[in-house]
Amino acid sequence: MKKILNDPQNYVDEMFDGLVAAHPEIYRAHAHRVIVRAGGKKPGKVGIVTGGGSGHLPVFTGYVGTGLLDGCAIGNVFACPSAEQMAETVRAVDAGAGVLCLYGNYGGDVMNFDMAAEMVDFEDSIRTTSHAVADDVVSASRDEAEKRRGVAGMIYAFKIAGAAAERMADLDEVTRLAAKASDNVVSMGMAMTPCIIPQLGKPSSTIADDEMEMGMGIHGEPGVWKGPIKSADDLLDEMFDTLQKDRPLTAGDRVSVLVNSLGATPLEELYILYRRLAARLAELRVTIVMPLVGRYATSMEMTGATLSILKLDDELEELLRAPANCAFWKV
Amino acid sequence: MKMQITSSDLKSALRRVASHSKNKRDELCAADAQLGDGDLGITVSEGFNACATLDLPEDIGTAFYEMAKTFQSVSSSSFGTLVATGLMAVAKETKGRTSLDSSEIAGLLSLARDAMLARGKSSLGEKTVLDGIDAQAKALQEGSSAALETAIAAAKDTVETFRDRKNQAGRARIFAEKSKGLPDPGQLALVVMTEGLR
Repeated sequence: MKKILNDPQNYVDEMFDGLVAAHPEIYRAHAHRVIVRAGGKKPGKVGIVTGGGSGHLPVFTGYVGTGLLDGCAIGNVFACPSAEQMAETVRAVDAGAGVLCLYGNYGGDVMNFDMAAEMVDFEDSIRTTSHAVADDVVSASRDEAEKRRGVAGMIYAFKIAGAAAERMADLDEVTRLAAKASDNVVSMGMAMTPCIIPQLGKPSSTIADDEMEMGMGIHGEPGVWKGPIKSADDLLDEMFDTLQKDRPLTAGDRVSVLVNSLGATPLEELYILYRRLAARLAELRVTIVMPLVGRYATSMEMTGATLSILKLDDELEELLRAPANCAFWKV
Repeated sequence: MKMQITSSDLKSALRRVASHSKNKRDELCAADAQLGDGDLGITVSEGFNACATLDLPEDIGTAFYEMAKTFQSVSSSSFGTLVATGLMAVAKETKGRTSLDSSEIAGLLSLARDAMLARGKSSLGEKTVLDGIDAQAKALQEGSSAALETAIAAAKDTVETFRDRKNQAGRARIFAEKSKGLPDPGQLALVVMTEGLR
């Protein structure tokens, strides 16, 4: 294992301390592994919280900020936070208008957020709603789309729900828009090297030196095939065609796209992918709005990339363009 | 035989369950290690141990709520979350009361079972702790002069009924074939928890 760390046991807490120290104008540590906006609460605004395991920065913690999320509970690397942490995050951000819990669709996170919702209802009478983003098209068929895992596309749901909340939309409206963004985003990824959980010290899955895995999940979940590495254009085509089959785009559509590094893949290679993506969309006469290219949702030091496509309408596009500010995304 | 159960009865029951779970900790961990990560005995033992130290309020619903929260915070494993979910269902039903009648237990167990099934997105018959709770709720519904022994027998019978079947839920599902012939760790945990009430 080659990692920059002091002690694997302190990996998450030391990352957390550093993040807050680097951006005190954006983040504030509220409680153990609970982060909230530095600026405090705006009375009457709907709160939006997320949560999940560490190891995916900027997801989840990083997206706390103006026009985005209000708070986040984080767990160990790839391990979900406790329901109590989540409940504490909800309490911390509730400004009287209720709280949306918006997170990735993973069994443990869903169970714990549901539990947290019951806790704040029982104890604090805070109204919550929840939405689990499920955008990874290879993790289940469209017929079973509710079983899909949540990956990079979730940041669009953060952005759109966050913009609506900032404009003082009520809880039902913010929840509707989060679900709408989430329903309109599809993602797919591929990996060339696995990642290492610091406390384990070795990869939890293996990929041979001359191989890659198409469709691998952001925790190393098995993908659709393992085999020789393909060219960038072929990779992009396979991902694009899979997404296109799942959620077809037609001439005149407007989309935002995210070409995301899983950690180790450099920006150069993301732009090689983007070049082909832009050509494919131009060929279809689909317009790209606010493309994102970079590290937006990672899996430690995994080499690989994901492609997410958000289909826009006027409502979603307007909210996507609204101002937002966190350490990793400024609009 | 009808009996009123108050918050102080709960407290002494928790102490007995905690002590029995501690004795059975390694046994449960060993059963779990066959099919999972081998920490179930620790989850159950630490969960009840923490609950037993609570200063429970008189409101029986709030008492169950405190237990749910404590169980959850001690162990964020999915078994811990499920137990906490069951306790929470009972908490909501009994909030604002200072006692419950022993004749209500079957109904409360059914409520807990349904909430746990919903949370775990599982069904009965998948060889989980829920099958044991279901058997207990049904056995107690018929009414019995020895409710506790009936519940213990129902939990034990469930383990044997399911022993030769495949695990179809949770992490143990990955080991479906291997799980045939092995007792389900969650169902065993229910035996331990119920025996502890003696």
